Amino acid sequence: METSGFVLLGFLLFCLGLLGVLIRRNFIVVLLSAELIFAGAGINFIVFSNLWKNLAGQVFTIFLIAVAAGEAAIGLGLLIALYRVKHTVNVDVARELKG
Amino acid sequence: MAILWVLLAIFIAACALGVVLSRSPITSALSLLIGFVGVGVLYLCLKAEFVAAVQVLVYAGGIMVLYVIGVMFTDSEALRLNRQTHMQAWPAFFIILVLFAWMGHKLYHAEYKAVPSAVTVAVAATPEEEAKTRLALEAKAALAHDTNPRQVSVALFSDFLYPFEAASVLLAVAVLGGIFLAKKEV
Repeated sequence: METSGFVLLGFLLFCLGLLGVLIRRNFIVVLLSAELIFAGAGINFIVFSNLWKNLAGQVFTIFLIAVAAGEAAIGLGLLIALYRVKHTVNVDVARELKG
Repeated sequence: MAILWVLLAIFIAACALGVVLSRSPITSALSLLIGFVGVGVLYLCLKAEFVAAVQVLVYAGGIMVLYVIGVMFTDSEALRLNRQTHMQAWPAFFIILVLFAWMGHKLYHAEYKAVPSAVTVAVAATPEEEAKTRLALEAKAALAHDTNPRQVSVALFSDFLYPFEAASVLLAVAVLGGIFLAKKEV
């Protein structure tokens, strides 16, 4: 009963993060929404680690946090590069690759 | 007890909604920060104390500071006056609503059985190997009653040593890539 509630919470965080990535124009908010997706995955790892009494879930959550830190570093590099070239952080202006 | 779980879940979900819906990126970042503290409390209640500490330290202390500095470096706050969403907002909203209703229903009504963790059945050929296996099993049994940070660190430095090193290489490469992207002559 409790487990299904936690899985639902993780999935809700995933859906909200996906919504933010898809609909927001501000690049910083897009990156923050990506962090929400990571949080949803982390909740799933910890819940099943607790249910199955298996430490691998906790270890993988630590790796997940490391990946999120790497994503933050790359994302901020991209943010500053975008701002330097376009003088805005609106993702709609970066459309050179659109055919 | 169950009401506390529900309150915590509602708190985390409200913070996540604040991230997606708020106009100002600073409000988004602070909302995410509070939400991550809530997720840390959830980890703590699920007996993952070390991960809870790492979550608050690294996310709340490190990553969110990076994002707030990113807001400071750009005129991100000026975008607050513009329209915040794309043309594709409504289709995306409906698709995600359908996805959440469908998948959420399946996830909520699925059965989650607590399976016992895998016990390694070692085939011992010689008496020395048998003694070694017994020692390893005894060490594992002793560890089961130890504190959570010790259990996690033993797992991290024995079973997951190579992934751990790979993660450190990944972090180094990501930081170098971030510096390369952000420096003047791209």
